[in-house]
Amino acid sequence: MPTAPRTLAVIPAFNESAALPSTIADLRAVQPGIDIVVVDDGSLDDTAEVAASLGVDVLRLPFNLGIGGALRCGFRFAVQQGYERALQFDADGQHLASEVDTLLAPLAEGADMVIGVRFGDGNDYDVGRSRRLAMGVLRTIARWLTGRRLADTSSGFRAFSRPMLERFAQEYPLEYMDSVEALVQAVREGYDVREVPVQMRQRSAGQASNRRFRLVYHYVRLLVVLGSSRRPRSAR
Amino acid sequence: MSFRAHIVVILLTCGALAFILRLVRGQRLKAKYSLLWLSVGGMMLMLAVVPGLFDSIARRLGVVYQPTLFLVLAVGFLLLVVVHFSFELSRMENRIRSLAEEVTFLRHDLDEERRRDAPE
Repeated sequence: MPTAPRTLAVIPAFNESAALPSTIADLRAVQPGIDIVVVDDGSLDDTAEVAASLGVDVLRLPFNLGIGGALRCGFRFAVQQGYERALQFDADGQHLASEVDTLLAPLAEGADMVIGVRFGDGNDYDVGRSRRLAMGVLRTIARWLTGRRLADTSSGFRAFSRPMLERFAQEYPLEYMDSVEALVQAVREGYDVREVPVQMRQRSAGQASNRRFRLVYHYVRLLVVLGSSRRPRSAR
Repeated sequence: MSFRAHIVVILLTCGALAFILRLVRGQRLKAKYSLLWLSVGGMMLMLAVVPGLFDSIARRLGVVYQPTLFLVLAVGFLLLVVVHFSFELSRMENRIRSLAEEVTFLRHDLDEERRRDAPE
Protein backbone atom coordinates (compact mmCIF):
# COMPACT_ATOMS: atom_id res chain seq x y z
CA MET A 1 0.00 0.00 0.00
CA PRO A 2 1.24 3.48 -0.77
CA THR A 3 1.98 5.47 2.36
CA ALA A 4 1.86 8.92 0.76
CA PRO A 5 -1.55 10.57 1.03
CA ARG A 6 -3.56 10.48 -2.18
CA THR A 7 -3.22 13.82 -3.87
CA LEU A 8 -5.19 15.34 -6.72
CA ALA A 9 -4.05 18.21 -8.90
CA VAL A 10 -7.03 20.26 -10.02
CA ILE A 11 -6.33 22.11 -13.25
CA PRO A 12 -9.07 24.51 -14.28
CA ALA A 13 -8.84 25.14 -18.02
CA PHE A 14 -10.64 27.51 -20.30
CA ASN A 15 -9.42 27.38 -23.91
CA GLU A 16 -6.04 26.03 -22.88
CA SER A 17 -5.54 23.22 -25.38
CA ALA A 18 -2.25 24.77 -26.51
CA ALA A 19 -0.61 24.97 -23.09
CA LEU A 20 -2.17 21.88 -21.52
CA PRO A 21 0.04 19.08 -22.94
CA SER A 22 3.31 20.52 -21.69
CA THR A 23 1.81 21.51 -18.33
CA ILE A 24 0.55 17.98 -17.75
CA ALA A 25 3.73 16.38 -19.05
CA ASP A 26 5.77 18.48 -16.60
CA LEU A 27 3.55 17.65 -13.70
CA ARG A 28 3.64 13.96 -14.48
CA ALA A 29 7.38 13.83 -14.94
CA VAL A 30 8.10 15.57 -11.63
CA GLN A 31 5.17 14.29 -9.59
CA PRO A 32 4.27 10.83 -10.86
CA GLY A 33 2.36 10.04 -7.66
CA ILE A 34 -0.17 12.81 -8.10
CA ASP A 35 -3.43 12.25 -9.94
CA ILE A 36 -4.60 14.96 -12.29
CA VAL A 37 -8.05 16.21 -13.13
CA VAL A 38 -8.64 18.86 -15.77
CA VAL A 39 -11.80 20.88 -15.30
CA ASP A 40 -12.81 22.09 -18.74
CA ASP A 41 -14.78 25.23 -18.03
CA GLY A 42 -16.92 25.23 -21.14
CA SER A 43 -14.00 25.79 -23.50
CA LEU A 44 -14.68 26.63 -27.11
CA ASP A 45 -11.58 24.85 -28.31
CA ASP A 46 -10.71 21.17 -27.90
CA THR A 47 -9.36 21.46 -24.35
CA ALA A 48 -11.42 18.50 -23.14
CA GLU A 49 -10.35 16.24 -26.02
CA VAL A 50 -6.70 17.17 -25.56
CA ALA A 51 -6.92 16.46 -21.85
CA ALA A 52 -8.69 13.14 -22.42
CA SER A 53 -6.11 12.08 -24.97
CA LEU A 54 -3.44 12.68 -22.35
CA GLY A 55 -5.14 10.11 -20.17
CA VAL A 56 -6.03 12.36 -17.24
CA ASP A 57 -9.43 12.65 -15.64
CA VAL A 58 -11.57 15.26 -17.34
CA LEU A 59 -14.53 17.10 -15.91
CA ARG A 60 -16.39 18.75 -18.73
CA LEU A 61 -18.65 21.57 -17.59
CA PRO A 62 -21.60 22.08 -19.94
CA PHE A 63 -21.00 25.83 -20.03
CA ASN A 64 -18.59 28.37 -18.65
CA LEU A 65 -18.95 28.79 -14.90
CA GLY A 66 -15.90 30.94 -14.32
CA ILE A 67 -12.77 29.97 -12.48
CA GLY A 68 -14.48 29.77 -9.09
CA GLY A 69 -17.16 27.44 -10.44
CA ALA A 70 -14.58 25.25 -12.13
CA LEU A 71 -12.58 25.03 -8.93
CA ARG A 72 -15.55 24.14 -6.78
CA CYS A 73 -16.40 21.39 -9.23
CA GLY A 74 -12.82 20.12 -8.97
CA PHE A 75 -12.89 20.23 -5.16
CA ARG A 76 -16.17 18.34 -5.11
CA PHE A 77 -14.63 15.73 -7.34
CA ALA A 78 -11.63 15.44 -5.02
CA VAL A 79 -13.91 14.95 -2.03
CA GLN A 80 -16.10 12.42 -3.84
CA GLN A 81 -13.12 10.40 -4.92
CA GLY A 82 -11.71 10.34 -1.43
CA TYR A 83 -8.54 12.34 -1.97
CA GLU A 84 -6.80 13.42 1.21
CA ARG A 85 -5.41 16.59 -0.30
CA ALA A 86 -5.53 18.56 -3.48
CA LEU A 87 -3.71 21.33 -5.18
CA GLN A 88 -4.77 23.97 -7.58
CA PHE A 89 -2.54 24.27 -10.60
CA ASP A 90 -2.73 26.62 -13.57
CA ALA A 91 -3.10 25.17 -17.04
CA ASP A 92 -1.07 27.89 -18.69
CA GLY A 93 2.29 26.79 -17.36
CA GLN A 94 2.68 29.60 -14.87
CA HIS A 95 3.16 27.20 -11.98
CA LEU A 96 6.14 24.94 -11.74
CA ALA A 97 5.78 21.23 -11.09
CA SER A 98 9.11 21.34 -9.27
CA GLU A 99 7.56 23.59 -6.62
CA VAL A 100 4.69 21.24 -5.82
CA ASP A 101 6.59 19.52 -3.00
CA THR A 102 7.28 22.87 -1.38
CA LEU A 103 3.59 23.66 -1.60
CA LEU A 104 2.44 20.34 -0.17
CA ALA A 105 4.95 20.18 2.68
CA PRO A 106 3.04 22.35 5.22
CA LEU A 107 -0.05 20.15 4.83
CA ALA A 108 1.78 17.38 6.64
CA GLU A 109 2.30 19.77 9.54
CA GLY A 110 -1.40 20.43 9.85
CA ALA A 111 -1.94 23.36 7.49
CA ASP A 112 -5.35 23.48 5.77
CA MET A 113 -4.50 25.79 2.94
CA VAL A 114 -1.08 26.59 1.55
CA ILE A 115 -0.53 29.43 -0.87
CA GLY A 116 2.47 29.55 -3.11
CA VAL A 117 3.83 33.08 -3.07
CA ARG A 118 6.14 34.41 -5.72
CA PHE A 119 9.73 34.85 -4.70
CA GLY A 120 11.19 38.31 -4.31
CA ASP A 121 9.66 41.60 -5.27
CA GLY A 122 8.65 40.72 -8.76
CA ASN A 123 11.86 41.43 -10.60
CA ASP A 124 11.86 38.16 -12.43
CA TYR A 125 8.10 38.17 -12.50
CA ASP A 126 7.01 41.39 -14.10
CA VAL A 127 3.38 42.05 -13.33
CA GLY A 128 2.96 45.60 -14.60
CA ARG A 129 2.02 48.70 -12.72
CA SER A 130 -1.79 48.57 -12.58
CA ARG A 131 -1.74 44.93 -11.65
CA ARG A 132 0.81 45.58 -8.96
CA LEU A 133 -1.38 48.33 -7.58
CA ALA A 134 -4.40 46.06 -7.69
CA MET A 135 -2.54 43.37 -5.81
CA GLY A 136 -1.49 45.94 -3.21
CA VAL A 137 -5.07 46.99 -2.64
CA LEU A 138 -6.20 43.40 -2.31
CA ARG A 139 -3.44 42.74 0.18
CA THR A 140 -4.57 45.68 2.26
CA ILE A 141 -8.18 44.60 2.20
CA ALA A 142 -7.27 41.06 3.12
CA ARG A 143 -5.08 42.22 5.98
CA TRP A 144 -7.78 44.44 7.26
CA LEU A 145 -10.34 41.65 7.13
CA THR A 146 -8.26 38.83 8.46
CA GLY A 147 -5.86 40.66 10.73
CA ARG A 148 -3.01 38.89 9.00
CA ARG A 149 -0.25 40.05 6.76
CA LEU A 150 -0.51 38.00 3.60
CA ALA A 151 2.04 38.42 0.88
CA ASP A 152 0.01 37.37 -2.12
CA THR A 153 -3.74 37.10 -1.95
CA SER A 154 -4.36 36.35 -5.60
CA SER A 155 -1.93 33.53 -6.23
CA GLY A 156 -3.67 30.54 -7.75
CA PHE A 157 -0.97 28.10 -6.72
CA ARG A 158 -2.55 26.53 -3.67
CA ALA A 159 -2.82 23.28 -1.77
CA PHE A 160 -5.67 22.14 0.43
CA SER A 161 -6.17 19.66 3.25
CA ARG A 162 -9.13 17.31 3.28
CA PRO A 163 -11.16 19.42 5.76
CA MET A 164 -10.53 22.52 3.66
CA LEU A 165 -11.60 20.65 0.54
CA GLU A 166 -14.79 19.52 2.18
CA ARG A 167 -15.53 23.07 3.18
CA PHE A 168 -14.82 24.44 -0.30
CA ALA A 169 -16.79 21.66 -1.95
CA GLN A 170 -19.72 22.99 -0.02
CA GLU A 171 -19.12 26.65 -0.53
CA TYR A 172 -16.57 28.33 -2.70
CA PRO A 173 -16.74 31.90 -3.97
CA LEU A 174 -17.94 31.60 -7.51
CA GLU A 175 -17.06 34.88 -9.09
CA TYR A 176 -13.94 36.48 -10.45
CA MET A 177 -11.34 37.17 -7.72
CA ASP A 178 -12.48 34.02 -5.99
CA SER A 179 -8.94 33.53 -4.72
CA VAL A 180 -9.06 36.51 -2.39
CA GLU A 181 -12.52 35.69 -1.21
CA ALA A 182 -11.64 32.06 -0.55
CA LEU A 183 -8.57 33.12 1.37
CA VAL A 184 -10.48 35.51 3.60
CA GLN A 185 -13.22 32.93 4.10
CA ALA A 186 -10.72 30.29 5.18
CA VAL A 187 -8.87 32.54 7.61
CA ARG A 188 -12.06 33.86 9.14
CA GLU A 189 -13.47 30.41 9.65
CA GLY A 190 -10.40 29.44 11.57
CA TYR A 191 -8.60 27.24 9.06
CA ASP A 192 -4.82 27.12 9.20
CA VAL A 193 -3.69 29.15 6.20
CA ARG A 194 -0.01 29.41 5.39
CA GLU A 195 2.14 30.89 2.69
CA VAL A 196 5.29 29.44 1.21
CA PRO A 197 7.65 31.18 -1.20
CA VAL A 198 7.84 29.52 -4.61
CA GLN A 199 9.19 30.31 -8.01
CA MET A 200 6.85 30.99 -10.88
CA ARG A 201 7.15 31.32 -14.58
CA GLN A 202 5.91 34.17 -16.72
CA ARG A 203 2.53 33.46 -18.18
CA SER A 204 3.25 31.55 -21.34
CA ALA A 205 -0.09 31.79 -23.06
CA GLY A 206 -3.33 33.44 -22.17
CA GLN A 207 -3.68 36.85 -20.62
CA ALA A 208 -4.34 38.16 -17.18
CA SER A 209 -7.85 39.42 -16.97
CA ASN A 210 -7.24 43.03 -16.17
CA ARG A 211 -9.60 45.12 -18.22
CA ARG A 212 -10.04 48.19 -16.13
CA PHE A 213 -13.76 48.66 -15.73
CA ARG A 214 -14.30 45.02 -15.06
CA LEU A 215 -11.60 45.19 -12.48
CA VAL A 216 -13.09 48.20 -10.74
CA TYR A 217 -16.48 46.54 -10.71
CA HIS A 218 -15.03 43.41 -9.16
CA TYR A 219 -13.19 45.41 -6.53
CA VAL A 220 -16.38 47.07 -5.44
CA ARG A 221 -18.19 43.75 -5.51
CA LEU A 222 -15.46 42.13 -3.48
CA LEU A 223 -15.53 44.91 -0.91
CA VAL A 224 -19.26 44.53 -0.49
CA VAL A 225 -19.11 40.75 -0.30
CA LEU A 226 -16.23 40.65 2.12
CA GLY A 227 -17.54 43.53 4.18
CA SER A 228 -20.91 41.90 4.58
CA SER A 229 -19.69 38.36 5.04
CA ARG A 230 -20.73 36.59 8.17
CA ARG A 231 -18.51 36.58 11.13
CA PRO A 232 -17.15 33.12 11.77
CA ARG A 233 -19.65 31.23 13.84
CA SER A 234 -16.98 29.21 15.53
CA ALA A 235 -13.38 28.43 14.91
CA ARG A 236 -14.10 25.06 13.42
CA MET B 1 -62.36 62.31 -16.69
CA SER B 2 -64.48 62.34 -19.83
CA PHE B 3 -66.79 59.45 -20.51
CA ARG B 4 -64.76 58.40 -23.53
CA ALA B 5 -61.49 58.37 -21.59
CA HIS B 6 -63.18 56.33 -18.91
CA ILE B 7 -64.24 53.71 -21.44
CA VAL B 8 -60.73 53.57 -22.93
CA VAL B 9 -59.16 53.05 -19.50
CA ILE B 10 -61.62 50.28 -18.66
CA LEU B 11 -60.96 48.56 -21.99
CA LEU B 12 -57.21 48.78 -21.54
CA THR B 13 -57.45 47.33 -18.06
CA CYS B 14 -59.71 44.54 -19.29
CA GLY B 15 -57.13 43.84 -21.99
CA ALA B 16 -54.37 43.59 -19.41
CA LEU B 17 -56.46 41.35 -17.23
CA ALA B 18 -57.35 39.13 -20.17
CA PHE B 19 -53.67 38.83 -21.00
CA ILE B 20 -52.87 37.75 -17.44
CA LEU B 21 -55.77 35.30 -17.47
CA ARG B 22 -54.50 33.78 -20.68
CA LEU B 23 -51.07 33.29 -19.21
CA VAL B 24 -52.55 31.75 -16.08
CA ARG B 25 -54.84 29.39 -17.98
CA GLY B 26 -52.01 28.31 -20.24
CA GLN B 27 -50.12 27.54 -17.03
CA ARG B 28 -47.30 29.69 -18.16
CA LEU B 29 -47.18 31.47 -14.82
CA LYS B 30 -46.57 29.67 -11.59
CA ALA B 31 -49.49 29.76 -9.17
CA LYS B 32 -47.92 32.31 -6.84
CA TYR B 33 -47.27 34.74 -9.66
CA SER B 34 -50.68 34.27 -11.25
CA LEU B 35 -52.29 35.05 -7.92
CA LEU B 36 -50.15 38.15 -7.59
CA TRP B 37 -50.89 39.51 -11.04
CA LEU B 38 -54.54 38.56 -10.95
CA SER B 39 -55.05 40.55 -7.77
CA VAL B 40 -53.14 43.46 -9.29
CA GLY B 41 -55.33 43.26 -12.38
CA GLY B 42 -58.46 43.05 -10.27
CA MET B 43 -57.48 46.13 -8.33
CA MET B 44 -56.68 48.01 -11.50
CA LEU B 45 -60.05 47.12 -12.95
CA MET B 46 -61.81 48.27 -9.82
CA LEU B 47 -60.03 51.61 -9.92
CA ALA B 48 -60.77 51.98 -13.60
CA VAL B 49 -64.49 51.32 -13.19
CA VAL B 50 -64.88 53.52 -10.12
CA PRO B 51 -62.46 56.41 -10.68
CA GLY B 52 -63.72 58.27 -7.61
CA LEU B 53 -62.64 55.41 -5.34
CA PHE B 54 -58.95 56.11 -5.47
CA ASP B 55 -59.40 59.83 -4.93
CA SER B 56 -61.49 59.30 -1.84
CA ILE B 57 -58.94 56.87 -0.40
CA ALA B 58 -56.18 59.39 -1.04
CA ARG B 59 -58.19 62.18 0.54
CA ARG B 60 -58.84 60.08 3.59
CA LEU B 61 -55.11 59.42 3.93
CA GLY B 62 -54.47 63.13 3.74
CA VAL B 63 -52.72 63.10 0.36
CA VAL B 64 -53.10 66.50 -1.26
CA TYR B 65 -52.35 65.57 -4.85
CA GLN B 66 -53.94 62.17 -5.37
CA PRO B 67 -51.87 60.86 -8.31
CA THR B 68 -48.75 60.87 -6.11
CA LEU B 69 -50.31 58.21 -3.92
CA PHE B 70 -50.83 56.03 -6.96
CA LEU B 71 -47.26 56.58 -8.14
CA VAL B 72 -45.76 55.91 -4.73
CA LEU B 73 -47.75 52.70 -4.36
CA ALA B 74 -46.95 51.58 -7.88
CA VAL B 75 -43.22 52.25 -7.59
CA GLY B 76 -43.07 50.64 -4.16
CA PHE B 77 -44.86 47.56 -5.38
CA LEU B 78 -42.73 47.22 -8.50
CA LEU B 79 -39.57 47.63 -6.44
CA LEU B 80 -40.61 44.79 -4.17
CA VAL B 81 -41.37 42.62 -7.18
CA VAL B 82 -37.98 43.31 -8.73
CA VAL B 83 -36.15 42.56 -5.48
CA HIS B 84 -38.06 39.34 -5.22
CA PHE B 85 -37.09 38.43 -8.77
CA SER B 86 -33.42 39.12 -8.04
CA PHE B 87 -33.69 36.80 -5.10
CA GLU B 88 -35.32 34.11 -7.20
CA LEU B 89 -32.75 34.56 -9.95
CA SER B 90 -29.88 34.10 -7.52
CA ARG B 91 -31.44 30.96 -6.21
CA MET B 92 -31.98 29.64 -9.69
CA GLU B 93 -28.44 30.42 -10.68
CA ASN B 94 -27.20 28.40 -7.72
CA ARG B 95 -29.38 25.51 -8.75
CA ILE B 96 -28.24 25.68 -12.34
CA ARG B 97 -24.63 25.63 -11.18
CA SER B 98 -25.29 22.58 -9.06
CA LEU B 99 -27.00 20.90 -11.99
CA ALA B 100 -24.09 21.74 -14.25
CA GLU B 101 -21.73 20.12 -11.76
CA GLU B 102 -23.99 17.10 -11.46
CA VAL B 103 -24.08 16.69 -15.25
CA THR B 104 -20.31 17.02 -15.30
CA PHE B 105 -19.84 14.24 -12.77
CA LEU B 106 -22.30 11.98 -14.55
CA ARG B 107 -20.55 12.53 -17.85
CA HIS B 108 -17.22 11.80 -16.23
CA ASP B 109 -18.52 8.51 -14.82
CA LEU B 110 -20.12 7.60 -18.12
CA ASP B 111 -16.92 8.31 -20.03
CA GLU B 112 -15.00 6.18 -17.58
CA GLU B 113 -17.44 3.31 -17.87
CA ARG B 114 -17.31 3.41 -21.66
CA ARG B 115 -13.55 3.42 -21.62
CA ARG B 116 -13.52 0.43 -19.33
CA ASP B 117 -15.94 -1.47 -21.52
CA ALA B 118 -14.22 -0.65 -24.77
CA PRO B 119 -12.00 -3.46 -26.06
CA GLU B 120 -8.38 -2.43 -25.93
